[in-house]
Amino acid sequence: MDMPESPPPQPANSSPITTAAADATDDPLSSPYVSLNSHCHELSTLQDLACRGAWRTILDKVARSRSLSLLSKPHEHLIYLTFNLLSLIKLRRYSDAQQELQTLDDDLDSKQYLFESYPDHYPNHKAGSMVPFALRWLHAHLPLTLGDRQLSLDRLYSLLHFIRDKKLPQNRDSISEVSLTLWKKRETFVVNTIISYHLSQKEFKVCLALLKAEISKNEDPLLVSQLGYVQMQYGDLDGAKRSFEAVEKMVVGSESGDVRLKNLVSRNKALMYLVEKDYISAVREYEECMERDESDFVAINNKAICLMYLRDLSDSIKVLESALERVPTVALNETLVVNLCSMYELAYVNHADVKKTLSTWIARVAPDDFDTSFIISKMHRYDHLPSCLEMVRQKFPRKSLQTVHLACVFLTTSLSTWKASNGEASETDCANT
Amino acid sequence: MSGGGGGVAQQSAHSLAFRVMRLCRPSLHVNTSPLKFDPCDLLFGEDLFDDPIAASHLPRLLSSQSNPSSVDPSDPSYRSRFLLQHPTDSLGLPGLLVLPQSFGYMHIHTCSIFNNALDNVLVEAEIQTERQRILLLDTSKSPVESIRASGRYDFIVEHDVKELGAHTLVCTALYTDGDIERKYLPQFFKFVVSNPISVRTKVRNVKDITLLEACIENHTKSNLYMDQVEFEPAQHWSATVLKAADHSSEHNLLTRETFKEPILIRSGGGIYNYLYQLKFSSPDNAQLKVEGSKILGKLQITWRTNLGEPGRLQTQHILGNPITRKEIELHAVEIPPVIILEKSFLVSLNLINLTERVLGPFEVWLSESDSLDERAVMINGLQTTTLGEVQAFSSLKLQLNLIAIKHGIQKITGITVFDTIEKKTYDSLLEMERLISILYFEVGLFCGATNANLIFCKITSYQMGLRMFSGPWIHLWTTVKDATRRVPLYGRVSIL
Repeated sequence: MDMPESPPPQPANSSPITTAAADATDDPLSSPYVSLNSHCHELSTLQDLACRGAWRTILDKVARSRSLSLLSKPHEHLIYLTFNLLSLIKLRRYSDAQQELQTLDDDLDSKQYLFESYPDHYPNHKAGSMVPFALRWLHAHLPLTLGDRQLSLDRLYSLLHFIRDKKLPQNRDSISEVSLTLWKKRETFVVNTIISYHLSQKEFKVCLALLKAEISKNEDPLLVSQLGYVQMQYGDLDGAKRSFEAVEKMVVGSESGDVRLKNLVSRNKALMYLVEKDYISAVREYEECMERDESDFVAINNKAICLMYLRDLSDSIKVLESALERVPTVALNETLVVNLCSMYELAYVNHADVKKTLSTWIARVAPDDFDTSFIISKMHRYDHLPSCLEMVRQKFPRKSLQTVHLACVFLTTSLSTWKASNGEASETDCANT
Repeated sequence: MSGGGGGVAQQSAHSLAFRVMRLCRPSLHVNTSPLKFDPCDLLFGEDLFDDPIAASHLPRLLSSQSNPSSVDPSDPSYRSRFLLQHPTDSLGLPGLLVLPQSFGYMHIHTCSIFNNALDNVLVEAEIQTERQRILLLDTSKSPVESIRASGRYDFIVEHDVKELGAHTLVCTALYTDGDIERKYLPQFFKFVVSNPISVRTKVRNVKDITLLEACIENHTKSNLYMDQVEFEPAQHWSATVLKAADHSSEHNLLTRETFKEPILIRSGGGIYNYLYQLKFSSPDNAQLKVEGSKILGKLQITWRTNLGEPGRLQTQHILGNPITRKEIELHAVEIPPVIILEKSFLVSLNLINLTERVLGPFEVWLSESDSLDERAVMINGLQTTTLGEVQAFSSLKLQLNLIAIKHGIQKITGITVFDTIEKKTYDSLLEMERLISILYFEVGLFCGATNANLIFCKITSYQMGLRMFSGPWIHLWTTVKDATRRVPLYGRVSIL
């Protein structure tokens, strides 16, 4: 149990305690907000496990707590359920997550999730919902994972309306400033989720409209940068340039000295260099970022890609490998590893071995939710190739080998990646063509 | 699958292999649902912070936990995969680049497979299509000195694909390995090029304005951002693009500038239309309508896909509707404002000679339409009028005496001009629509001051006419009988 953090009560004739909260509580030791664990059974452990990415352990813990009936209060059950649901989704066990969600009432606003419905458990508690907001979000997101994108979108938009119509308009007297700020953050969170959905389906105009609305409310440099990325994504380079310039003005003007914002501006500049194919300047910008913050994995990844386009394949691989060694907890990102695998495929003939080594290391170090499916699929692609060729050769003995190539490549790889097989064309075949 | 694993053994013929990767631009990775959360949303009920006690205590508890900016590399914590640093992180667009997985440039290199070092390697790459062979790379002047064992030689070739259909990239290497003889390795990579967009045009003429409608259809698998679509007019033509008016009421300059609505054509069949207004303007007025002005111009289209990957297309010459040279023109100078049924009226016409030679003499008549019943207007008098010669670039007046035989809105049409020397007939030069009126009127007879009863007998005659300024008039002669005698009466009525 964590130690209580507020000072013990002073005797009556000493100077009054400044925190208003202490006035309201008689005995801080019995306040339910003294520590995480006092709020909910072993909550700090759950939080810690989540930070370490130990989702399977969380599942075990929740199952054990439930079976041993260690949870006494309704809100504890809800919190544990939320963690359970999140773990299942992180581990990509979507149908199990669906089953977990179905144990709940479909209407998260129902009475059973309100504090006031349990006067015995919460005698002096302020009224309100005990549903963690993340549960609402997960409830909205789950259908997408099961293939029903439309339902997810509908739920997200409903959630947005719920926030905007019910929570934000509440007047300042009934809720605290902290709460209002929190609801505003939640609103931004949901809007950004919605934009992400539309973006993954390349519905760019909707994204632009939503981003425009968000930016007009609050000109945040991160958001305007993301607008720039969206514009780059569909090809509006002039628009992206304008967005990035606006971000630069915002950051330079604020003089906050925040390293993250400085790096943001540098990375945006680097992207502009990249599209103009000035890879050398882009590398320079990324190196500046890495000097300021060595854990800027976006800069690391992008620098490696620039090196590759400069045909410096060995250095690009070195950059990624050293990042994985130095700062594994930030560098271990699925995209970075995908890029590394692509580079291995180009660099080494026997890349399957290298990739096996990589995936073994990942299995040891990575959190439970790391998605290794793409590495494995890429490996199998090339293992199949020689045997496919043999099969096709037997079927079409007279055809020249490039059609065999073609057939095999179509057979085994998705059409998007074309690679040569090694050494199959012999002198007899070149006589045929 | 039979013969699995037999592939490796067959490589003994060559110590070298080509690997090809298409190198188009990388793309920005979008992560739907990064699944990052603010701890307040997970650990506590959503309304808990309404309680002022909670609001003051709880943030302190969390501040130690969620400070991801101070990352200790030795800290085995993946908190950045779980904790939300900024609410916009849920957009999942951190600006991370991903390598492309599909065709673009060729990044080729040769890999040495076995343990032999290779010397004096000559590499060549060329693209073959049905029509031509284009050499992309030739190192014969400066051959690669050597490639060490398990080493690599990389090169990038770039090629703007301009033809459609099957293409073959042929990579060949001529090298010496441990053996004395020179070995030759060719490798072939096939790909098919198809049309990314198709352009359909329609030309319409409205009076002397030509309108060009261009419809662009996207056949690719990605959305196309139309960077520039420009119509390059041919000589003597000028073009302006017609766009819908921009009614955006953006006050914020930042948003207005960054939010210019992009023209994006959806993948797999999306279309977008452009409208151009073209005007023909010749510097030399005499050469007003030249026959060869059929070519209107070309469309230049530039588009971009992800990260600004450019594409270009120029259409063939777009042809307009042929404009025939006009030799004569007929204009109506004067037509009576009111035309009354079965009353002849005069129409003044002007015949203009647009050519530089003398034309005529002419004959003018009203052409016969299908049947007598159809005709509404006929020539009153001689059916054919003769006109003399008309000088170059000058005109001649003529008058036609017409009569309408049908009332209502009728077309005065079919005026045919025949050049007796050149034997050319010009019809459809002039068409007018006019209202042919029938005049109905009621005449009331009023008994005057006499005591006699008057009996109306009949209208003996009437006369109608038209005055230019006072309009139509009618004169009536009637006889009226009273008990004793018939009295002629005369009245005049003006119809307004």
